[in-house]
Amino acid sequence: MIDPDTLSRARFRPVGITKGPGETTHEYTFVSRDDEQVLKNGEYVYYELSDPGDAGVSETWEPSQRAFSRRVLGRIIKRVPLQLYPDTFLAEPEISPTEVAAMVGYDARANELFELHVAIMGYYEEATGSFINPWIPPQSGKQIFLADDEMLTRILSRKQATQPGSATIGSLLTRAPGAVPIVLGVKDFVSTHLAIIASTGAGKSYLASVIVEELMQPHNKACILIIDPHGEYGTLDQIANHDGFSENGTGRSTSYRPQVKVYKPDQVKVRISTLTMGDMRHLLPEMTEKQQYLLSRALRKVVETRRGSPWSVADLKAAVRAVSKQKGDEDSEGADDSSTVHALTWRIDQRFVDSFTFDDMQHLDLPEIFKPGQCTVLQLNDIDERDQQVVVATLLRRLNKARMETERGKVHAGEFYLPYPVFVLIEEAHHFAPSGTEVVSTAILKQVLAEGRKFGIGVGLISQRPGKLDGDVLSQCQTQCIMRIVNEIDQKSVAAAIEGVGRDLLDNLPALSKGQVIVAGAAVNTPVICRVRSRVTRHGGESKDAPDMWHKYFGSEAQESRHRSEAPLNGNQGFNLLR
Amino acid sequence: MFIGKIVKSDSHINYVCQIYGPREVEVEPGPADYAFGRFVRIGLRSEQPDDPHSDLNFALGISHEPKTYAVGVIYDTILLNPAFGSLGPRLSNETQVELFSPDYISEKAVLIYVMVLGIMEQRGKPGGQAEFLATMHGVPLLSLELGSEIETMTDAEVRAFHFFSDQPEPGKRAYLHMGYLPHIIAQRNSLLPMVTLRIIDQLERLFPQNLPLLSIVKRNFAWRLKVETTG
Repeated sequence: MIDPDTLSRARFRPVGITKGPGETTHEYTFVSRDDEQVLKNGEYVYYELSDPGDAGVSETWEPSQRAFSRRVLGRIIKRVPLQLYPDTFLAEPEISPTEVAAMVGYDARANELFELHVAIMGYYEEATGSFINPWIPPQSGKQIFLADDEMLTRILSRKQATQPGSATIGSLLTRAPGAVPIVLGVKDFVSTHLAIIASTGAGKSYLASVIVEELMQPHNKACILIIDPHGEYGTLDQIANHDGFSENGTGRSTSYRPQVKVYKPDQVKVRISTLTMGDMRHLLPEMTEKQQYLLSRALRKVVETRRGSPWSVADLKAAVRAVSKQKGDEDSEGADDSSTVHALTWRIDQRFVDSFTFDDMQHLDLPEIFKPGQCTVLQLNDIDERDQQVVVATLLRRLNKARMETERGKVHAGEFYLPYPVFVLIEEAHHFAPSGTEVVSTAILKQVLAEGRKFGIGVGLISQRPGKLDGDVLSQCQTQCIMRIVNEIDQKSVAAAIEGVGRDLLDNLPALSKGQVIVAGAAVNTPVICRVRSRVTRHGGESKDAPDMWHKYFGSEAQESRHRSEAPLNGNQGFNLLR
Repeated sequence: MFIGKIVKSDSHINYVCQIYGPREVEVEPGPADYAFGRFVRIGLRSEQPDDPHSDLNFALGISHEPKTYAVGVIYDTILLNPAFGSLGPRLSNETQVELFSPDYISEKAVLIYVMVLGIMEQRGKPGGQAEFLATMHGVPLLSLELGSEIETMTDAEVRAFHFFSDQPEPGKRAYLHMGYLPHIIAQRNSLLPMVTLRIIDQLERLFPQNLPLLSIVKRNFAWRLKVETTG
């Protein structure tokens, strides 16, 4: 049998030689000519520990495992040229400094020499899936190798592509597209939550859609809800009819075809009886103390009398009147409440009667919107922002209750029986948990983030303004996908809220292009910069091409059709004038 | 044109040459022939064949054997006068001295300092033109010999010394070389930087197409010499 060590030595030439320790404890530097220009910033290199015993490697391990475990991986964080042309050589723009160097007799072919700074990550321990720091920088003179694609594929990601519980979101940026797939561990980000943060246009919703596509694959069959305030995720319904997502039944398992349900804004209903006093206060702002007092007593009364069955606006109004009368009986010397009652019922009428969103009976049925193998999109684009917050708050509250009661074995059927974990993706999360102020959805969102792990509720937060997002909420997300962020406040809040991301990686934030993402946290073994793969379904969140649309306005067809529609009808001129 | 011969050396690349005086050669070299910064060449003997007629053949332009030269530049001139210091009146005037002790006059001499910049190999072609075979800038391996004759170089020869390709293969592009610059700079002599400027002036005349390239070196030198030393 060939020793894997000699095999790897034959296959991989060293790229450089260690110079010595770097600026900080866990850094070292090496020198390389880098003729092939492969040692980019963020690239992975390794050196080999001299003695397997050093690392405490068990002798019983597979030889290949042992080979990996002896390689101390590091990431290049800085590239400093050691030889630069003198400034005076650069005086003539049309003359290259190599020509000047050649003239004075310097062979320009072997010119460049770099000092590369490497942050030590450690050697990979397969058993724990983590990197173990050797706590000692390499000796001077050690050979440095470029980590090969196969090695990175095995050790950067928790899972291998297409394994159950894997989500391949793209490939390593510094390598050829597809060479090193970056695979998130679905279990990790669903249980400890996910955050996608990027400025507008950096590809947030694109990445989110890629993740949803992965979760809907036959190897995951996830149960997803997407809160979509801009109506960008409608195109995901192509998943249902896409052959790539279905699986034919084999022996034991039945065949699988994912379902996508898109709820249009007018289909998103909130049953009035699910509202709490907090929601009421939020929906009816600036109530007087008296109105609040009356309303809270009425609400308590109506909940008590209906004992869990739904109640309507009319019931609430009746309760308000009843409560005020009862109060009037209790202390006769109190002021007349009739004006307060009148104002309150008038406000309730104005808010809830004929509302699209709030309904006496209908609401989103939990077992209907949450099903494994089904992705539900709630489009909230026509709904007022306050109402959106209430929609999310009531839904999360009901979901949390259902999961809690199901897990504790309190219910076995019915509306609150939900015997599987769910993943909720919230777009524009800063609407639902803004920093500085408390809105109706903040508390329940925090609760779900803190306790969701126990009850199987995973949350994915998507936001373009991490600075506006509540800090506690952001820090609860253990997996972070950070895309291009230009705003300095946002960059700082990301750095402050997120531990575990190598600081050096965050320095790259403004340099990232569209579709490039830094993934860090629980779902990957080490922070990586990843190129997001292309979507299977069409993207819905593209920005409008304004000049093109203006141009079309003056196209001959458009002009003609406008003429037709705008032309005054024959003989109706007088009528038009009259109007 | 031969202007003198080597009489002394200060190092492997610095040579002192005595300019031919009156009646030593047919055409006496004038000050313009040994001007500051002028390129000269000195034949390397060891590269010559043993045939005693070869020199003659070469001089007549009928030799086709390759000949190797060391190429140098004049960077200093000294007028030597042993009579300097004896300021008292003389009993015999100059004409009488010339008549009665003729070797005295030859003690007055012009010495030039030459720094060797590289070597070049050339061969006479039947048409009387020279074919340049190889050029190298830097320190030559072999030393020059005492008594070797110093020759001025024509523009064509200076051009050939500076413009060649690194490899002798036909595909390689020829370009302007000044490979001797680093070792000129390494010498400690106050006149050498000035010589460099003179060399660049000459090259600017010979290679008008390389003006921008030369201007980089020239400006660099001029700045260091004129601005930094004065400022």
